[in-house]
Amino acid sequence: MALTITCPICGKRNGYEFRYGGEEKGPRPDEEGLTPEKWCEYVHMNNCVAGIQKEWWCHRDGCGVWFTTQRDTTRNLEVDQPEAQS
Amino acid sequence: MFGMYKPLWGKSPSRKSNYDAVIIGGGLHGLAAAYFLARDHGMNDVAVLEKRYIGFGGSGRNTAIVRANQRTPENIPLYKEALELWPVLTKELDYNLMFFNCGNLNLMHSEAAMNAARMNVAIAQFHGVESHLIDAKQCKELLPALNISEDITYPIFGAMYHPPGGILRHDAIVWGLAKGAAKHGVHIHQNTEVSGIGVDNGKIVSVDTSRGKIHTPRVLLAAGGYSAAIANAMLGIKLPISVLTIQAMVTQPLKPILDHVISSGMYHAYANQTLKGEIATGAHMDPWPNYTTQTTAYYIKHQAEALAEMLPCLRGVKFMRHWAGLADMTPDMAPILDGNEPIEGFYMDCGWGYFGFKSCAATGKYMAQFMATETCPSILKPFTLSRYQEHRFMGETAALVNYSPDN
Repeated sequence: MALTITCPICGKRNGYEFRYGGEEKGPRPDEEGLTPEKWCEYVHMNNCVAGIQKEWWCHRDGCGVWFTTQRDTTRNLEVDQPEAQS
Repeated sequence: MFGMYKPLWGKSPSRKSNYDAVIIGGGLHGLAAAYFLARDHGMNDVAVLEKRYIGFGGSGRNTAIVRANQRTPENIPLYKEALELWPVLTKELDYNLMFFNCGNLNLMHSEAAMNAARMNVAIAQFHGVESHLIDAKQCKELLPALNISEDITYPIFGAMYHPPGGILRHDAIVWGLAKGAAKHGVHIHQNTEVSGIGVDNGKIVSVDTSRGKIHTPRVLLAAGGYSAAIANAMLGIKLPISVLTIQAMVTQPLKPILDHVISSGMYHAYANQTLKGEIATGAHMDPWPNYTTQTTAYYIKHQAEALAEMLPCLRGVKFMRHWAGLADMTPDMAPILDGNEPIEGFYMDCGWGYFGFKSCAATGKYMAQFMATETCPSILKPFTLSRYQEHRFMGETAALVNYSPDN
């Protein structure tokens, strides 16, 4: 079963139209006092949650919008409720 | 006849509450490390913990291709040694690993790709790995079924020909290493899920499992696609890993037509003919992280299109089975091999992406040395976790066009 993603503009579409943009990691860290560890953590490190995670997507082959959504990585299904248990 | 089941590596031993080392993950890397720990370093008091059955994960789901024509001087020696170990292990383990030394053809579809291949070939030859650059006509001579016409989506310009590579039966190496490890006294516990790792004063002290607590000063994390989630959830160590599914399938058995492994970066497809005659073919990864092993019709179509163009004689051949496995991808397509950092006694052998099969024997050997001597062998030194902080990415991908989970 292939993945579907709900674009905020175009609605529910086939997952292959989208580009996954990584886990939601909060705002970019301040440059002041930034250490290599903190920068590395922001850029490269992932939580790899087996469960529901908040993540970025881009509707690459559609309207081009970037948005966040929640998906259960153990079932590969989008989760409806906005702030579900993680 | 489930009651009669007895694994070929012997009866399952009863679990002890103390081991010198615990290995999380009964896949190839875990079993290889256990085997070499017991054989070379006299550390026989080792437990391999496997959540399901050995070889359930990537070890039994890959397309069984082995080769040593990687791109960087850090990676090549590991794969080269592994390639030399298959015939040795076949004898040593007294188990037919069905190593078919048929050679690999990495197809190139542009002048730019041919230039990149030139560098790969030079690096391989420098390290004593046989690798040649050949043109389309020579490809056709090696493999008459190949379509070198210019009228296909990605015409073939040439290939990187790597004669020492080939295929190795993946289940056989799992079972062979399990047999070898068990013979040297290693305990293999299947259906044993790790639920926690105990740390005291910056040192590993225990592992909690679904079948009770085990005290140990050393843990090797070799859980393939699940490694990053385990390290994060149980020790708070974040890894630069994205876990993606990668799909593969086999056709109905055919008479011998494909006596080399072929792969194409442009078609995102690789194929070989198994010794049973099936064409085993694998695709690119699904581009979103997940822990399912779901397969999609998208890739059946994708593989059928790619194979029908590269090997037109396969048109109309039916796919028989289709499966997926997990690949733990790192940003630089090279593994994370590290130990005693930041926790004493904690070792990692993960982030292999889809290359974990090809190097398992050599990596297991050196990880065992690392764990037994507590000093990192020089061959593993470039693969530390700290390289990401230091921006020392390994150049296994020739050019990073954009940074995404499947780099």
